[in-house]
Amino acid sequence: MFKKALLALPVAMAVGAAAQAGEWQDPNDVLQNLLQNNPDSKYLHQSEMNIMMMPDNPALWLVEEGEELFYAQRGPNNVSLEGCDFGKGPGELEGAYVELPRYFDDVGKVMDFEMRLVHCMKELQGFTSDDSAVGQRHGSGSDIMKLTTYIAHQSSGMAWNPPLDHPEEQAMRDAGEVLFFRRGGAMDFNCASCHGDAGKQIRASVLPQMRDSQEWTKAVSWPAHRAGQDNVRSQNHRIRGCVWQMRHAGILPDTPVNTALISFWNDAARGEPAILPDLKR
Amino acid sequence: MLKKKTVGAGLALVASTVLIAGCDGWLGETGGEVDITAMSAEELADYLVLETGSYRLEQEAQEGGSARDRMTQDGIQAACSLEGDPDAETAGNVIAMARESYEAPPGGARLGNWRRGAELARSGYGYRVGHRNDDHGQREPGGNCYACHQMDPAEELYGTLGPSLAGYGATRGNDSAVVNYVHQVVSNPHQYFPCTQMPRFGRNNFLTEEQIAHIMAYLLDPASPVNQ
Repeated sequence: MFKKALLALPVAMAVGAAAQAGEWQDPNDVLQNLLQNNPDSKYLHQSEMNIMMMPDNPALWLVEEGEELFYAQRGPNNVSLEGCDFGKGPGELEGAYVELPRYFDDVGKVMDFEMRLVHCMKELQGFTSDDSAVGQRHGSGSDIMKLTTYIAHQSSGMAWNPPLDHPEEQAMRDAGEVLFFRRGGAMDFNCASCHGDAGKQIRASVLPQMRDSQEWTKAVSWPAHRAGQDNVRSQNHRIRGCVWQMRHAGILPDTPVNTALISFWNDAARGEPAILPDLKR
Repeated sequence: MLKKKTVGAGLALVASTVLIAGCDGWLGETGGEVDITAMSAEELADYLVLETGSYRLEQEAQEGGSARDRMTQDGIQAACSLEGDPDAETAGNVIAMARESYEAPPGGARLGNWRRGAELARSGYGYRVGHRNDDHGQREPGGNCYACHQMDPAEELYGTLGPSLAGYGATRGNDSAVVNYVHQVVSNPHQYFPCTQMPRFGRNNFLTEEQIAHIMAYLLDPASPVNQ
């Protein structure tokens, strides 16, 4: 813990006086600090409109709705999600989102956020895959996205810090890095085809570079309201969209390729403050 | 949480780490526990892609075969799964593999209709599978060239992942050496640019020879807007 705090400290000092490693910050303040620190990043500065809209981010509505859902007694077992352990203890949400994926003793494997949320909704509340509460993964109207946005918001401004102490956490992160560069599909693409260089565009869209952690923290800061889709989206939705456009095989939810990729994503943003929720093009 | 018993889909989940992990279906199809820490990162990545139910691998692919075939790497894909540029030895191997797998079109490379090529260069449709499948019976797949390249200098929306191709034919002409070279680059570009990010449009059966001829005309025909 002490070591992690030391690693995060210089970064926190760099992004402004108000910021400290473990301190919650308004997502708009996090974004404004990133913009100030990176005046030449085409990716971060690409949409003046979205930067302007950030204080009124439509994703903030989902925070309120998600909070109600989190504390409501729901499902066949009629219990709230307060018993769900996202890694910091049952019901402890502050800083939990930026310290995922992680290894969970109760299931004996590494889980990403959405996998863990669904696990709790099934095991604690008694929902099954047939219930829309867990079956519907995408869209601002889905329970999953409301809960995701509320829970993630409790980590806004905190540094990405997925644990790597357990050997399986390290193994999944390392496999995720290999997957990032693994070429395949009908167009021979890997993730680095689009995220290997700074300031490149695919059509009109400026792409984030994975090895630039200040661009990458915004890139992996989901949930985010996607202006072009008028919906709040998740990390898993971003993966599904990329994989689809890359002409790889279709990826399925709650599966370990997602977990490994997210382990690597969040590690590549390590030490940088998360924007939760973000607003993207 | 572990003490809770949930009955669903005919499976009783009991408080056993191994059983729960097995029921999640990704620690080996047989339900046996796999030690992921005993694998190299490369082995684990391949295992995750092909053995854990993470993808819809049995789905049909539009180019023939299955989605599993797409996720099973060929020699060039495997050799080019690296960060940055390939070293000299890798580059040499990739060039050799690309030359060996290149097929010149029957009757030789030729230019088609640049107007058709312009449509194909703009279209990003085709070959996507998963939660939505591109239906080639409804709409012809395209080459999606503008996603990465500037071509017609009057077109404002273009990507910059690849080099600008504005005026490509105007500076190079279109004699048979140029036409043959451009065909090799569109069909199987690793012959000249080992581990390039550009797809192998011919080798991967992504575009037909007729479509490639149209796109080549868009690049090389003196009348094409690319060369104005």
